[in-house]
Formats: sequence, C-alpha cells, structure tokens
Amino acid sequence: MFPTLKTGAVMQYPAKRTLQFNTDAIRFLDGTEQRFRDNPSVLHQWTIQLDLLDESELAAFDRFFVSNQGRFGSFSFTDPWDGTVYPNCSLAADTFGFQLRGEMRGKTKLIVSENRT
Amino acid sequence: MFYFPQLSSGATGQFPITRQRSARTVVNQSCQGYQVKLADPGAAITSWHLSFEEMSDEELAALEALFQAVGGRLTPFTFLDPVDNLLAWSEQQNQAVWQADPLLTLTGGVADPMGGTSAYQVSNPTAATLTLQQSINAPASLDYCLSLYARSDQSPQVWLVRGSATEARAISPQWTRLISFGQLQDTADSISFGIALDPNTTVDIFGIQVEAQIAASLYKQTFETGGVYPNARFQDDTLTFTTVGPSRYSCEVDIVNVEYL
Repeated sequence: MFPTLKTGAVMQYPAKRTLQFNTDAIRFLDGTEQRFRDNPSVLHQWTIQLDLLDESELAAFDRFFVSNQGRFGSFSFTDPWDGTVYPNCSLAADTFGFQLRGEMRGKTKLIVSENRT
Repeated sequence: MFYFPQLSSGATGQFPITRQRSARTVVNQSCQGYQVKLADPGAAITSWHLSFEEMSDEELAALEALFQAVGGRLTPFTFLDPVDNLLAWSEQQNQAVWQADPLLTLTGGVADPMGGTSAYQVSNPTAATLTLQQSINAPASLDYCLSLYARSDQSPQVWLVRGSATEARAISPQWTRLISFGQLQDTADSISFGIALDPNTTVDIFGIQVEAQIAASLYKQTFETGGVYPNARFQDDTLTFTTVGPSRYSCEVDIVNVEYL
C-alpha cells in the first residue's frame, strides 16, 4: 500500500498528474502523415511533492522505497483526483531522497507511474 | 575502529540533513510499453549530505583526523545515521537481534500508544531481574539517547539499559515516553540498549529507539536494519572547510554507504 500522511492525504499542493499516450507518426514525402498508437491505452503518472513531513512519515516513505526496491516493485495506487484504483503502479525512479530542515520539517518528492498490464 | 565524530553538542549532524537511497533496476521495455524488470539489491546505496556551521577547533580537528585516518574515500568507517533509529526491528522484539534473558516472556499484538497493536508485553515471572537488549556495533564512548514508550498496571518502574548504565524510570498504567541519555566512559566497539524488569513484573513497551545524540526525536520504526552503517565512506577525496572567524568553521561533507564494496 502506498503510504498516506498522518492527515490521511496522499498528496499535497501543488500536485501534478500526467496522462501519456505513445503515438508514432510517419511523415511522407508529400507531407501527409500516418499515425498509429504504440500503446493500447493511456498511462498515468503522479508527481507527489511533500513538505513539512515529520520523521515517522518520512520513515514510512523510506520503508516503502526499500521494500519496493526502487522501481522494481509494483503496488496499487488510488488516484486522489477521482478515487480510481490503478492496480499496477511502480515508483518511477531508483532513487529516493529527503531533506530534513528541522524537526518535523521534512521534504521529499516521489513519482508514481502506472505500468502497462 | 573508525567512526564519524559527534559534535560537542552530542549531535552527529546539523540541519538541514539530506539522505538519499538508490536502488538499481534493470528494465527491458517493449515497444508496446510492457516492461520486464530485474532488481539488483546488492547495488543499493545510501548517501548523506551534511552541512556544518559554527564548528569549533576541536570539532573540525576530529573530522579532519577521521578524514586523514581513513585516507579520504579509501577506508570505511562507522556512520550513525543522524535521522534514523539505530536499533533494528524496533517493533518486533521476537526477532533474533533482540537478546532476551531465558524465562523472560514476550507477547506481541498489544495495543500501542499510536492506536495500533504493535506493542509488546514483557513479563518477568522469575525472582531475578531479567533484561531484553539489542547490541549495536558502534563505539560505546559516544553520546546516546535511548527512548521508549512503556506502561504497566502493576509495576511502578522499569530499568533502562544503556551500555553499562542502568537507570530506573517510573511508569504508570498510562503510556509514558521514557528517556535515558548520556555518554559512557567505555572504549568498547559495541554497546547494548534495552530494558530490565524487576522480579515478578509485567510491562508493555513500544517504540524503542536509540539515537546518537543527547535528546530523543520523534519515534521512527525500523525493520531489518537500523541506522548503523559500518561500511560508510567519504564520497570525495577532498575535505574543504571555511574559516569564518577564530574557532568558527563551516564545512560540507558527503558520505556514502555502499554494501557491495
């Protein structure tokens, strides 16, 4: 399960969601184009920027990263925009870092990507 | 044994502290977007960026002595994570890292002060004092702070064990965070932390934490590893510091722990 903050929220403002298709476009000599989809459907990605976290919240994200072995593991993620559950998601990067500027003043960023199933 | 020195305040780092973990995943992606992934857990790296301000002559000398002794990034040293709990399995006292005296009984799944059921009930049915401890491979001479939540319906006190120091702390039926801190005159390369129970007493405990500093911070749950990194190194072969006045130095240090080296 993707960790939630102590407030119960998954994300903080500013939150970013990306929808991605993968379209190939072949352009011919006369200028016309033929386009076709490489992927059958759209993929989602969420950029989660978190600030003013306490140490236990940071520890939960750290544990989540370690247990997933970076972008290797998969998990279900509930889109905070509409509540849709995406059952096959992964972290997008093999690195996870945080900065602690003081007690209960932690800052971090994660990107969650939906996997093709 | 080389180890990263503490400041005169007893702290290992100053805010802001940055920690980063890196994993290695081999990904084979098809043109349809499907992925085959292979994990490489042995390639995991943990790194810290530490910024120090207003260091004294003695603090800078200790850091410089370590840098020279380990030859820059050549030789590993023990680094105690300033933003983590040094104990492993902080909520699973039935794991092998915890050394319980024979006849001490441990029962898990007890209601904890955070609203969960991760506390342990520890009972001593004998006529002798029994201990539950965990040993970490870190210098016994540093400043440490042991903290835990405890409660008991029948015992008025519990003993906090911090190396050779054992201190009694009063407890009640309400959860109370108990703290024991200080520095020992001990040159050993390991130190044990835990609790000791008086004869015929039962105590509920939760959130046991050790930090290399003189005060307790918020509790952090740990699993197979705690915040002791015996294979840490300086990331660079250079150590640069700035003198901003008499006995006033600033410095930035990058430390990396790589398991496969």
